[in-house]
Amino acid sequence: MSVLRTSASPASEEFLANQRAHEGLIADLNAQLERVAQGGGERARERHVARGKLLPRERVDRLLDPGAPFLELSALAAHGLYDGESPGAGIITGIGRVSGRECVIVVNDATVKGGTYYPMTVKKHLRAQEIALQNRLPCIYLVDSGGAFLPRQDEVFPDREHFGRIFFNQANMSAAQIPQIAAVLGSCTAGGAYVPAMSDETVIVRNQGTIFLGGPPLVRAATGEEVTAEELGGGELHSRTSGVTDHLAENDAHALQIVRGIVATLAPRAPAPWPRAPTEPPAVDPRTLLGAVPSDIRRPYDAREIIARIVDGSRWQEFKELYGATLVTGFAHIHGHPVGILANNGILFSESALKGAHFIELCDQRRIPLVFLQNITGFMVGRDYEAGGIAKNGAKLVTAVSTARVPKLTVIVGGSFGAGNYGMAGRAYSPRLLWMWPGARISVMGGEQAATVMTEVGQPETGAELREQYEHQGHPYYATARIWDDGVIDPRDTRDVLGLALSAAANAPLADVRYGVFRM
Amino acid sequence: MFSSVLVANRGEIARRVIRTLHRMGIASVAVFTPADRGAPHVREAGEAVRVSSYLEIAEMVGACTRTGAQALHPGYGFLSENPELARACAAAGVIFIGPPPAASELMGDKLRAKAAAERAGVPVVPTYTEEQAAADGAGYPLLVKAAAGGGGRGMRVVERREDLEAALQSARREARAGFGDERVFIERFLPRARHIEVQVLADTHGKVLHLGERECSLQRRHQKVIEESPSPVVSPDLRSALGAEAVALAAAAGYVGAGTVEFIADYEKPAEHYFLEMNARLQVEHPVTEMVTGLDLVEAQLRIAAGEPLGLDQADVRLSGHAIEARINAEDATREFLPAAGRVIGYRRPRGARVDDAIELGSVVDTAYDSLLAKVIVHGRDRPVALSELDRALADTAILGVTTTTGFLRALIGTEAVRDGRLDTGLIERMEIPAGPAPAEVARAAALISMKLLAEQAADDPFARADGWRLGGRRASSWWRLAVGGDDALEVELGGDEAQAAERSAPDAFTLMAGDQRREWIYAEQGQVLWVSSDGWAWPVRHREADQADSAQSSGEVRAPMPGQVLLVPASVGETVQAGDTLIVLESMKMELAMTAPVAGLVAELSVVVGDKVVVDQALARVEVNGSR
Repeated sequence: MSVLRTSASPASEEFLANQRAHEGLIADLNAQLERVAQGGGERARERHVARGKLLPRERVDRLLDPGAPFLELSALAAHGLYDGESPGAGIITGIGRVSGRECVIVVNDATVKGGTYYPMTVKKHLRAQEIALQNRLPCIYLVDSGGAFLPRQDEVFPDREHFGRIFFNQANMSAAQIPQIAAVLGSCTAGGAYVPAMSDETVIVRNQGTIFLGGPPLVRAATGEEVTAEELGGGELHSRTSGVTDHLAENDAHALQIVRGIVATLAPRAPAPWPRAPTEPPAVDPRTLLGAVPSDIRRPYDAREIIARIVDGSRWQEFKELYGATLVTGFAHIHGHPVGILANNGILFSESALKGAHFIELCDQRRIPLVFLQNITGFMVGRDYEAGGIAKNGAKLVTAVSTARVPKLTVIVGGSFGAGNYGMAGRAYSPRLLWMWPGARISVMGGEQAATVMTEVGQPETGAELREQYEHQGHPYYATARIWDDGVIDPRDTRDVLGLALSAAANAPLADVRYGVFRM
Repeated sequence: MFSSVLVANRGEIARRVIRTLHRMGIASVAVFTPADRGAPHVREAGEAVRVSSYLEIAEMVGACTRTGAQALHPGYGFLSENPELARACAAAGVIFIGPPPAASELMGDKLRAKAAAERAGVPVVPTYTEEQAAADGAGYPLLVKAAAGGGGRGMRVVERREDLEAALQSARREARAGFGDERVFIERFLPRARHIEVQVLADTHGKVLHLGERECSLQRRHQKVIEESPSPVVSPDLRSALGAEAVALAAAAGYVGAGTVEFIADYEKPAEHYFLEMNARLQVEHPVTEMVTGLDLVEAQLRIAAGEPLGLDQADVRLSGHAIEARINAEDATREFLPAAGRVIGYRRPRGARVDDAIELGSVVDTAYDSLLAKVIVHGRDRPVALSELDRALADTAILGVTTTTGFLRALIGTEAVRDGRLDTGLIERMEIPAGPAPAEVARAAALISMKLLAEQAADDPFARADGWRLGGRRASSWWRLAVGGDDALEVELGGDEAQAAERSAPDAFTLMAGDQRREWIYAEQGQVLWVSSDGWAWPVRHREADQADSAQSSGEVRAPMPGQVLLVPASVGETVQAGDTLIVLESMKMELAMTAPVAGLVAELSVVVGDKVVVDQALARVEVNGSR
């Protein structure tokens, strides 16, 4: 075990330039987050509040334990999609502590198109449920939604990962003893009615929450019956007569109190699969991260500069330091949780891949969660390397990544290209959570390389187009808009975000390992 | 002088006597009951003897002989005015530091004391027989007092003749229970009176001096709350007159030692005064006299008991400046001064004031003994200076873990009447008891302190530090649900940047900004309870979910839970009911079913009468919450 030091010099021109560049990206990120946090805009917010309802973010703040952190997920979902009609995809999701329990919280934002489900809304809701399932976190749904966004029914209704999957997930999570709790704080129409109906325990607000399969206009059209929304599916009806809801609340604040009370009655969580040590801040000042790490992903640097700034006491026990040096592997703690970190220090060779596979096996045996710091252009190419079996060795890394039972957390800090993305626990490898830094890029290969390939095969025009397209589609906002990740984060938040995620991940017990460590 | 003295008392007075003993180089012996084993007076004394009770004469005297104590100081209360103790001491060859038994017996009997005062030329309150009182021969209001009484027990004010008989009976009952002597007497009652008393010292050589007066008009239920010397309304002439009367009485009674002659004086014309009683002991409020005279009254008692002559003449006694004492009691002023109990988990004594206290950090306060925790005594150039010193000292006093009257005392000395010296014994009973800072302000302070403490303990653990962490360095509002005192939980919103409004100012305190006001809050944690104190007020604050979370609120509508027949309808429309009051009784399935008011309010509707058959879920009644709909 040693204490990592930094070789960055805070007074250097390079340090200052890095910092300026990062700060520019972060300022833009914060501006985007701030815009999204306003939901559907000033007028919609005013209308919402005028109805006596709390704004969705205040609902979250009040639901949480006093001052508890909220690890928001995919805050910029739907960014640049649907002509900007759906900031944040009209839904807020995240992990937070309620009555001492870490929960996944899903909150419709009725100020955004009445909280209706756009395709990305569905995806974001399902992703939150997936996180709840993988980490065995109770789900709290604060429902205030008009249901599916009808003009896009073909993208939200029929397929496997569409609206119906929400209820499938609720049923199956409940069956897996992952509690499902709903508070109806507004409309809950048609398919939406199943969110409270499929929950284990449900709260509704009088004269505000409504649950029905068909609203008054549809009823009138279908049968001619004249009925008010409150009569048809209000709190009194569902709490006294239908029994669809279990608790009647006077207002939002009361409903949230009742939800807190419900969470307090849940069975205790499973014991954490790994012990937690006392936490201590990194010895290398985390605030110097922005200057120590280049914002230009083509500029190489030592990944230990990041590690030194995110792990407890900057303490680090490196594994196989002298072998396969382009992949840095070692043990550390983040906020007291043990972690095995894999970080790229250049392209992956056979040796680096073998080392990574070996290290993942060790962590899996030892119940140590894995953290991938991804900055990878891919595996080495060329005759000698193919002859050396790099495909086979890369496959070992991908196999280890795919089958490790310990939680994986991935941060794309630089490039995420090609098979490097696979070997470093990209989205397809189901890391429990995955984030991007604002300067990162993700695509099957770099735009430059794609252009070169097309030029080589005799299509230079296509190459130029591709370069532009890859630049555009590889941008973190493009990625996060489509929920290829769980959010774009300020690099300085990396340590806290990982700590919160590890804490959440510790809710799920680990299965047994059935093989010994295969030496590579 | 003695080489060893036993202090037959506990609490602040035992400590105070021990201090003087030690200063004079005299060994001290304390006594303690099992419950007081860990009390400070036990530790501070050179030696300590266990007794079964502070009222056991034989054990006290036995403790003296066992430890070789030559004299016994009785303090106040307990056995201090019991002539049997003085006699038992004499029999065992132990010097009793107090008056001879004959003098205390005389003063202990209110009727005889009054007669002695009259003989000595001291004005006394007119007394009436039961017949005179009943025959309207006296002007009401009258006061019924126990002959053997003290401290307000067995005392009754009678406003009208019709109430006399009942007052006599209850006063007798209380006197018998309290003193084993049911004799009572009736005297004229001054509806608006001042309590003014004179400290006297008498040596065994026949010299009697007075040390000026104390005004103790600020009382509650005959218990003194604030005492001062000199009185704001006693002129030098009146002082001489009162002093002369007190000295004459003490001399006539053959009094020896420190004693106090109490007078009741007219509020407007204090020169019109009557003898009340003489206390044959050191008084709780003696320190104010010490502050203005520069004398140590315990030392004087010891020297007199040792047979030394008083080393000064009346002309040597000069009162300088103004002294005030405030008694901090373990009582909840906001709840009718109910006795409070608990463990002292935080204690800050004021600087620049004399504090005679019974407690220290960790002391357990129960309701078995006197509720006096501490006396804060200040001295100033004049009365306004002394008052502002006292205010500052009380503001600097923090006792956490037990509810005390500190905040109330500040409010009391802040009233115009007290500032202007317009004091009378009914002032406190008439005044509106302040509740102190608003619960919302206390809850906000407690929330901020909780947040700060969590942040300090959590170091950099984002889940533990409770600072509203959000992505991108943003800090969200946090919502705290806190119950102040015994009140319902309040919701407090702390803005994301509000943590900066609190700054640690001491190991047990934070300075908080509220608007542009800075205020120091002292805190102590006791399990799940956080005590916070500011400006002398202190509250226990508990983290609690809002009460309304316990049950889904009712609309006030009452519906039949099962089919049945209406058996009774005890409620009527328009009636005010509490939640849980029975509105209707149903008979159903051979059971009687009480349908109760789901909320407190007004019965707005009763839709059934006795004999009606009702179906399940039929609306029976509706209660409107007051002010709603």
